[in-house]
Amino acid sequence: MLNAPQSASRADQTLSLNMKLLAHHELAGFGGLGEGMGMQLTSDGRRILWLAHESAPKNFSGVDVTDPQNPKLIVQTELPHMKLRSNSLDVVGNIMVVAYQTTTVGIKPAGIDIFDVSQPETPRLLSHFDCSGPYSRGVHAVWFVDGRYVHMSSGASDFQPRNPLDDQFYRIIDIIDPEKPVEVGRWWYPGTREGDEAPPPPRLPAQFDMGFRTHNTNVFPEQPNRAFIGYIDGGAVVLDISDMKNIKVVSQWNHSPPFNGFTHTVLPLFDRGLWIVSDECVQDNGADWPKLVWVVDSRNEANPVPIGTFPAPPYDAFAKRGGRFGAHNLHENLPGPTSFRSDTIIVGSFFNAGVRVYDTSNPYQVQEIAYFVPGAPKLSPAGAIQLNDVYVDDRRIVYTVDRFTGGLYILEMNI
Amino acid sequence: MTWSRDALAGKIPVTLVTGFLGSGKTTLISKLLLHPDMRRVAVVINEMGEIGIDHDLVTVSSENITLLANGCICCSVRTDLQETLRDLFAQRRVGEVFDFDRVIVETTGLADPAPLVQTLASDTLLAAHYRLDGLITLVDGLHGEGQIDQQTEAVKQIAIADKILVTKTDLTSADHLETLCERIRQLNSQSPIEFIQQGEVDPKRLIDLGLSSSRASLKTLQFLGEALTVDAVSADVTGSGRYLGQRSATHNSAVKTLSLRFTEPFEWLSFSSALELLTTLRGPDLLRLKGIINVDGDPVVIQGVQHIIDTPVKMDRWPSEDKDSRLVFIVRNMELDVIRNLFQAVGAIKSASTSTT
Repeated sequence: MLNAPQSASRADQTLSLNMKLLAHHELAGFGGLGEGMGMQLTSDGRRILWLAHESAPKNFSGVDVTDPQNPKLIVQTELPHMKLRSNSLDVVGNIMVVAYQTTTVGIKPAGIDIFDVSQPETPRLLSHFDCSGPYSRGVHAVWFVDGRYVHMSSGASDFQPRNPLDDQFYRIIDIIDPEKPVEVGRWWYPGTREGDEAPPPPRLPAQFDMGFRTHNTNVFPEQPNRAFIGYIDGGAVVLDISDMKNIKVVSQWNHSPPFNGFTHTVLPLFDRGLWIVSDECVQDNGADWPKLVWVVDSRNEANPVPIGTFPAPPYDAFAKRGGRFGAHNLHENLPGPTSFRSDTIIVGSFFNAGVRVYDTSNPYQVQEIAYFVPGAPKLSPAGAIQLNDVYVDDRRIVYTVDRFTGGLYILEMNI
Repeated sequence: MTWSRDALAGKIPVTLVTGFLGSGKTTLISKLLLHPDMRRVAVVINEMGEIGIDHDLVTVSSENITLLANGCICCSVRTDLQETLRDLFAQRRVGEVFDFDRVIVETTGLADPAPLVQTLASDTLLAAHYRLDGLITLVDGLHGEGQIDQQTEAVKQIAIADKILVTKTDLTSADHLETLCERIRQLNSQSPIEFIQQGEVDPKRLIDLGLSSSRASLKTLQFLGEALTVDAVSADVTGSGRYLGQRSATHNSAVKTLSLRFTEPFEWLSFSSALELLTTLRGPDLLRLKGIINVDGDPVVIQGVQHIIDTPVKMDRWPSEDKDSRLVFIVRNMELDVIRNLFQAVGAIKSASTSTT
């Protein structure tokens, strides 16, 4: 070739189709966000987007997004020490639940904090539920949408895993009295706990072994007796939680092996008898590719059938762009007045491939209808955008966050 | 009403620029490429050499794609337009080509533009990502009349255009232009006619001629040719309103614009059967079709060129109080009554589930 063609994977490029950036906020230099995104409507008519940071020193930030083109950081809190991350939170009304996970077992604080955020500038701590212990790193992810139960991925003082990677399982905490949280149920993958009758589950090859551990534990008002669990290397698990003291498995599907594990989110589309299941990419430079979003026919609980995958972002363009490339979080159709909900439009974050919007009207032929890939944020150690999570509000405004330094991106879709 | 996706919103609009040999297309395209308002527009041309881009203005180039300093992407056709448009989208998606939000295509002079319009509708990959935003025909201000007299391609290009640009208007007399415009009007009674000189045109005049959203608005009416313009207000030949009429030329009575109105809603099956029958039997003579159909009360916009009808677009609501079905055909060698009778006859045959007899 006489003229060197434009490289296809320039991390400084912004790529967009049918999405427009309304605002970008770097959160006062602490632009590393985790997987906790929740929206509150305050009594004085403001919309506050609560964001959990990915790692220390910051805990969570509150951003006023009443005007999506002019986001304002109104509060940013600190973690008590550096061996800690919050990473996850949810808010219902004026009650916010924040997770704490430690870098090693046996230290504190590990568990959840429950805050009253009626005055968002000054969150008021109501209680702490302790999950620390000799084998526990605390809580990785929380799901709190009905105002009463916190469904979470957590360790416990009395839970000794056979394999240290399997240290978090499903716990249900009742916070009907937010000052007195009480565990009311738990379930773990059989064979992962010391003392289990079941044998330990066979593990993935060492380079992909991320553990038989819960990640997302979602429960929806359409079917409150079901918990939809991304059990990382344990695949997709659906539990009957009608009797929380006696939780049973009703559905299971695992693409691994032969795939590389890490089932992250199971999003049910109730009226269509489908699950949208996302993996999480956890290695840089495409080392654990393919990490995809799957479509599963769930009409028969006893036999979930995968019927397709979302068209992936182009590998050649992104795999070596910098950092992670692949699926991670989806906007999960949260209940409540502030969240977008759709049976067909699914929005996901894909690390260096940005945020992407899909139309699943034909579940056998999902279409990518919009995307936004920001250019590499300043000072990012990955050298490229690493969109970590996404939230879509009832105004169909898309909020997405970078894992390291980029902060918050606010977008509108043309779909 | 619950929100649902706008099927057209996300599609990249494509404008086709056509015109007989010598009508001034090359001049127009060359000037357009350098216009300051061409950022994020991809222009597809036949040959780079033809246009002669000043290399000082080039910032990045590859085999057939050049990024100009004004942000315009210039791309030459390799095999055919279909493949070029597909490649453009794929390259855009991987970041090999900078993002563009619209495409302007220069077609060759002798081309029958109909197949290009049809390609956009019938190629499922193209139809998923692009939509036809307009067909613009250039007519030579000096020689146009003669071309209309002698060349069926020229007639067709004018008949199916969404906008007509008369070029070289500085080189001819006002009288001459008036006659030319009358001839153009006889072939195409609805599309706007504009005059240009030296190929100079603001890109804004070339765009937004098509249906861009399934959310109904004034633009929907404009697309259907119904928004208030001088033409719309002028009396129709039969004197009974703009519909139920036909306009024909004295010189070229083969090409006509036929407008139909139906007050009874259609069932989709009977409407589409009638349309299919018409396209099967007389496809080549149905030069262009646009309309809004009342399908069991719901508004559905249709458009097509010859035998290819675009995917019908169900609008989210009616664009105005008028809920009759309205169709405008540009046809060759066909009579209004033949078409109207066909739709009325087929429309009268209700499907088994609704039939009472």
